[in-house]
Amino acid sequence: MKRKLSLFICILMLLSLITACGGSQDSSATADEDVIKIGVFEPLTGMNGGGGLQELGGIEYANKIYPEVLGKKIELFVHDNKSDQGEATTVVTRLVEQDKVVAIIGSYGSAVSIAAGDIIRNAQIPTMAASATNPMVTQGNDFYFRACFLDPFQGEVMANYAIEQGAKTAAVIMQNGDDYSVGLGNFFINAFKELTGDDNSIVDISEFQLNEADFNAILTNIKAKNPDVIFAPSAATTAPLIIKQARDLGVESLIMGGDTWENPAVIDVAGADAEGIVLSTFFDENDPATEEARRFVEGYKEELAGSEPIIPAVAALGYDAYILLRDAIERAGSTDGVAIRDALRETKDFEGVTGIINFTEEGDADKNIAVIKTVENGQFVYIDTVEVK
Amino acid sequence: MIINKKNKLILNILLFLAFATIIILLDTNKIGDPYIKRVLNLSAIYAIVSVSMNLVNGFTGLFSLGQAGFMAIGAYTVAIFTVPLADRAKIFYITPQNPILAQIELPFVIALILGGLLAALVAILIGMPVLRLKSDYLAIATLGFSEIIRIVFTNTKSITNGALGIKSIPQMPTMWVFFGVALLAIFIIWLLINSSYGRAFKAIREDEVAAEAMGINLFKHKVMSFSIGAFFAGIGGGLLATLLATVNPNQFYFTFTYNFLLIIVLGGMGSLSGTIIASFVVTVGLELLRFFDSPLTLFGVNIPLFRPGLRMVIFSLLLMVLVLFFRNGLLGQKELSWKVICDWFNRKKRKKPAEGGRA
Repeated sequence: MKRKLSLFICILMLLSLITACGGSQDSSATADEDVIKIGVFEPLTGMNGGGGLQELGGIEYANKIYPEVLGKKIELFVHDNKSDQGEATTVVTRLVEQDKVVAIIGSYGSAVSIAAGDIIRNAQIPTMAASATNPMVTQGNDFYFRACFLDPFQGEVMANYAIEQGAKTAAVIMQNGDDYSVGLGNFFINAFKELTGDDNSIVDISEFQLNEADFNAILTNIKAKNPDVIFAPSAATTAPLIIKQARDLGVESLIMGGDTWENPAVIDVAGADAEGIVLSTFFDENDPATEEARRFVEGYKEELAGSEPIIPAVAALGYDAYILLRDAIERAGSTDGVAIRDALRETKDFEGVTGIINFTEEGDADKNIAVIKTVENGQFVYIDTVEVK
Repeated sequence: MIINKKNKLILNILLFLAFATIIILLDTNKIGDPYIKRVLNLSAIYAIVSVSMNLVNGFTGLFSLGQAGFMAIGAYTVAIFTVPLADRAKIFYITPQNPILAQIELPFVIALILGGLLAALVAILIGMPVLRLKSDYLAIATLGFSEIIRIVFTNTKSITNGALGIKSIPQMPTMWVFFGVALLAIFIIWLLINSSYGRAFKAIREDEVAAEAMGINLFKHKVMSFSIGAFFAGIGGGLLATLLATVNPNQFYFTFTYNFLLIIVLGGMGSLSGTIIASFVVTVGLELLRFFDSPLTLFGVNIPLFRPGLRMVIFSLLLMVLVLFFRNGLLGQKELSWKVICDWFNRKKRKKPAEGGRA
C-alpha cells in the first residue's frame, strides 16, 4: 500500500514536471515575433507581499490601457521573488534566460532590486524599478532605471518643509536594520543640518528594532529635549504606535514620516492621534499632476472598485514604470537592450502619473515634485506640492 | 550484480566522471543556461549548509538552530574582504568603512576560508557555555545566538554597512567553485562521520550517559561537532555571498535556518546522501513548481486558483504527504550506497541478476 502510494506521488511529481515544461514551451512558442515580452519581478508573498501586489496592480492596469507597442502585443511575465534576495536573483535569471524578456520591471523593496542588479547589467536588459528608493539600486548600473524619487530627495523635501514651518530643532527615529528607514533618516539629518547651518539642530537620534512595539523609552527621551519636529520614517505597522505613544506622553512636536505612512492602517490604528501628522508621497489622487494622471485616477478607481480606499502611490509608480518602458521601446524602434537603454536615457519631460519625468546620469527619475499630505478628520489631506530645484 | 570493492571503485569513478562531464558541459554552455546553473549552484550551497547542519543535528543529536548566524559570518567575511577597493566608498555612503578594513582586499579563496574559520571560532566560544544545555534549551540558545549575530551586523555600520548591506561582491566564473567546495565539504564530513570521532558523535546521539560511561568526552566531542558544522556553514555563507553578489543582514533572519532544517528532516536526520538529495529536490522543486504561480488557461477558461502564492501551497502539501509516508525522511538514517541500489535493482529484475554491472 505504502509502496503504491509513494509510486503514485512520484508519478504525480513527474507529471507536474512535464506539464511545467510543457507550459513554458507553449508560451515560448507563441512568443516568437508577434509579442513583446516584459518581465515583472515583485514580492507577491513574504514580508513585502502587500506592497508588491499593489505595485503589480498598477503595472497590470497599465498593460490593460496600453497593450501594444511597435504594433505588437505586450505580454507580461510576472514572477514572485518572495521578498528574498536569493529568490530574486533566480527569478531575474529566469526572466532573462528562459522567458527571454526584452525589459524588466521591479521590484518593490530595494534589497531584492540590488541583488538582481548585477545579473541585469551583465545580461544588458533595461530594467525599471518602480518604487525602490535606495541609491544603490541604480548606482554604477547602466541598465537599471527607476521611476520614483530617491531617499536623499525625500529627506530634503521633508527637511525643507520642517524649516518652512519654523522648526529649529528635530529628533529622528529610525528602524534599525531597515535600509529604507535608516537611509531616509540619515538624508533628513544631513539636509536639516545643512539648512539650519547648525550641527546641534538634530537633538536626538534613536533607533528601534524590528517588531518593537513599545517606544516609551525613546519618546520620553525625546520629550525631555523638546524638538520642534520628530521625523520617524518607518513601516506603516509601526508608525501608528509611535504616533499614539508620543501623543499619550504629551509630546506636542510635529510628527513627520515618509511615503510608507500613506496607508489607511496608520489612521485606523492611531485614531484621533493621527491628526496633524505630515508625510511626503509620490502622488496625490486629488491633485493629478498631469493629464495622464487624471485619466489614471479615474480609470484605476473604477478598476479597484473600492478594494482599496485610496490609490496606493506604488500602483501609480508601477503604472509609470510600465509606460516609461513602453515609450522607450517605441522610440528605440527595436527590442535590443542597448537601444532601449539609450532611448530611456533620452527620455525628455515624459508625462507620467507621478509628474514630469526625466532621467539623471545614474538612471534615477529626476523628479522635481513631492506631495506633502497631512491627516484631517481621519482622512489624508493634500497640503502642498513641493518643488525642489 | 555483486558488489565488491573493485566494482564499487569503478562505479564511483564512473559516477564522478559523469558528474564532472555534466558540470563541464554546463560550464562551457554546451547545455543548460545561466538560470539552470544558478539553481544548481544554489542547491550545491544548500547541500553544504544542510550537511553541516546534519552533522550537528542528525549525527551528534544536538538540536541546534544557529546555522543562519554562522552563514552570516562567512558571508560577511567574503563580502567585506573581496569587494574591490574602488567600489567601497560608493557602498559605504552613509557611514564610511573602517579605515583599516577599507585598505584590505583578499583573494576569494582566502576570504572564504577565513570566513569559515571565524564562524568556527565563534562556534567554539559560544559552544562552550551553550552546549551544556540539552534539546529544546539548546535550540533556543542557538536561535538567539544567530539573531544576536544579525543584530550585531546591523549595528556595526563601519564594518558591515549596517542595514544597507554590501553589494558588488565579485562573482565566480565557474560552477566548480560551488560544486568543488560542496564535494570537498561532503567528503570531509563523510570521512569524519566514519572515523572514531564520528562513531563517538553517534554514540552521543543515541545515549549521552552510555556514551560517557564508555569513556567518550562529551563536551569535547560536542564542541568539535558544533564548530566543524559552523565552519562549513560559514563556507556555505561565503559561497552564497559570491553567488548573490550582495549581502544584507535581513537575509540571515532566523527563519532562514528553517530552510535547512526542512532539508535535513526531509532527507533524513543522520543521512548524508538523503540530505544532499533533499537539498536538490527542495531547491529545484520550488523552481519547477513556479508553474503554479502563473495564470493557467485550460480550454479557454482561466482557472482562478492559479495565482502567485499557489506554488507555496502545493509545496507545503507535498511536504505534508512526504512526512506522512516517510516519517524518518526520505532515507531515515540509511545511506544511499551502491549496495542499496543494487539490492533494489535485483529485487526488481530477479530474472537476470548477473547483467547490468558490465556496461
